Amino acid sequence: MRGVVSMVRKVLVANRGEIACRILRACNEAGLPSVAIYAENDASSMFVELADEAVLLTGGTIGETYLDQDQILAIAKSTGADAIHPGFGFLSERADFARAVGHAGLQWVGPSPEAIEQMGDKMTARITMRAAGVPVIPGEEIEHEDEADALAAIEAASHRVGYPMLLKASSGGGGKGMRAVHAPEDLIESAKGARREAIAAFGDGRVYLERLLTGSKHVEIQVLADRHGRTIHLGERECSVQRRHQKVFEEAPCATMTPELREAMGQAAVAAAEAVDYEGAGTVEFLLAPTGEFFFLEMNTRIQVEHPVTELVTGVDLVREQLRIAAGEPMSCGPLMMRGHAIEVRLYAEDAANNFLPAIGPLAVFRPPEGPGVRLDTGVREGDEVTPNYDPMLAKLIVWAPSRPEALQRMRRALDEFVVLGTTTNIRFLRELCDEPEVITGATDTTTIDRIWPNGWQPTVPRAVEDMALMAAAVAESAGLHRKQSMASTGGQGAPSPFETIGRRFP
Amino acid sequence: MHHQFRSPEGPIEVTVAKQGDEWSLGGLSTSVMADGRLKIVSSDGRISFGHVAKVGDVWWVHAEGHTFKLERIEPGASDTDDGGGLTAPMPGKVLDVLVAAGEVVSAGTTLMVLEAMKMEHRIVAATDGVVMAVHFAAGDQVEQGVALLTLDES
Repeated sequence: MRGVVSMVRKVLVANRGEIACRILRACNEAGLPSVAIYAENDASSMFVELADEAVLLTGGTIGETYLDQDQILAIAKSTGADAIHPGFGFLSERADFARAVGHAGLQWVGPSPEAIEQMGDKMTARITMRAAGVPVIPGEEIEHEDEADALAAIEAASHRVGYPMLLKASSGGGGKGMRAVHAPEDLIESAKGARREAIAAFGDGRVYLERLLTGSKHVEIQVLADRHGRTIHLGERECSVQRRHQKVFEEAPCATMTPELREAMGQAAVAAAEAVDYEGAGTVEFLLAPTGEFFFLEMNTRIQVEHPVTELVTGVDLVREQLRIAAGEPMSCGPLMMRGHAIEVRLYAEDAANNFLPAIGPLAVFRPPEGPGVRLDTGVREGDEVTPNYDPMLAKLIVWAPSRPEALQRMRRALDEFVVLGTTTNIRFLRELCDEPEVITGATDTTTIDRIWPNGWQPTVPRAVEDMALMAAAVAESAGLHRKQSMASTGGQGAPSPFETIGRRFP
Repeated sequence: MHHQFRSPEGPIEVTVAKQGDEWSLGGLSTSVMADGRLKIVSSDGRISFGHVAKVGDVWWVHAEGHTFKLERIEPGASDTDDGGGLTAPMPGKVLDVLVAAGEVVSAGTTLMVLEAMKMEHRIVAATDGVVMAVHFAAGDQVEQGVALLTLDES
């Protein structure tokens, strides 16, 4: 298909929530009509409103809705969409779906099925990377599906890989099916848990063992490749600060990066992309050891959650470029220019003080911060309900400022302004994270959170603020504010309609 | 007016007095703004703005970058918790039950494994004790807050 200019006239977004909103807005800005698909429990979700057309998926489970390839292809056909953007998660790294999209005569916004396969299978990816001259971490894949065989093979492989090690789901992502193992006696229980989570999340119990490089930073390189022979990198993002193997704090550039190292990692990432004849936006993840050595972790063949930090420091609209590249046009960006510093934090509906347990509830108040250098990517608004049906990420708060200290200060200010009531969130955890010395100096690594709070995080609340809160609750109750709120929410007596005053009447 | 709020250390009593449009408590004074927010003035003259919302019996309050959940105790209601029970921290599915009724367990023992939002969560014994009853089996769906097991603390 290379070299063929395929027009894209209408885009179906095969995703939901925050990333669906991001893509639908990009379609709007590109002048492309868009189609959203939604499950019944998403009928009033924000992304449905942002699409030109929205089609209800039949079925109750995620498998019957957002993962139902046949149903999605049928909707593309009936709505006349000629391209499918998968976002991240769901079907975004499913080569079989990318292939089915192509066979249906539609354009897949992303790389070829072959590239997804080569990078999606961690073993193949490692072999491909080694051949392309990109350094990889010591590790082994366990192919056995049978529980007893797999556990025996994991035991045998553990002696070759060495401790501490990481067990990961072979077809994984997002920290699901991932376990750190520090001692041989924990191996079997961890392996069982990893396999169980992997089977539940991906329907594939294969696991991958890899040496855990302690003290390393998670640094990833954004790449873009078009059909006109151009493959470029857009610098790095550092995403070391993770809880339960999920990123919560991401920034660009990496605080300890040098121009020489960026160039070396960038070239390795470009080599990785070229080795699989890559097309579109992708991310090559590395572990950066304290020695300055870097090792290939994996390539994510899709747009990534933390893409906005790269957008803010490079001025490149990555989703717009994805659409451009899918339409067969050359990418529009010039040489790499990085400017200032960007930080993203992920707001989760979760109880950070209780082992980051997911939380549910109404968004009775949802008031994001505003002002210079603040960007909010979200799929929710005030009045929505947070349910256990989907991922608990509520929003991404991203700030840009001329320097790293100023960006951190802007993030503190923005988090202090962010009000979410009715559902427990990690806002305060993120705010206190911004005051930690390791975060301030940029000396973060993948164990930062566990090291700062080995027994779990608890908020530090000044007594005076606690008193204020108690007083606020007592005054609110006494003044009957809850009765006023429920009246406002049922629409009771709102402002008078302006139509009456201009003498307009409906037939 | 007098109110009670639940806290881990027992009920907290709060009495606010009203004079004109101003409420006061110790050195703090508060007025309700047109948009439903609260303007709180400290004794040193410092001004803060509080957001409030009530969900069920709980007042959610945001002030100075901190968020609080203050459950109001209705006058006359008792303040007893069900205690001892090991409850589901969120809605989900029971993946594995690792103990049986009658089993003696020590603090820290994993009793049950739940799955919610594709992540596993362990239900761990907080104290030494004897498992009196297991209320769910692997594969069962559980609602938030239901008792999963009963543990007799020794």
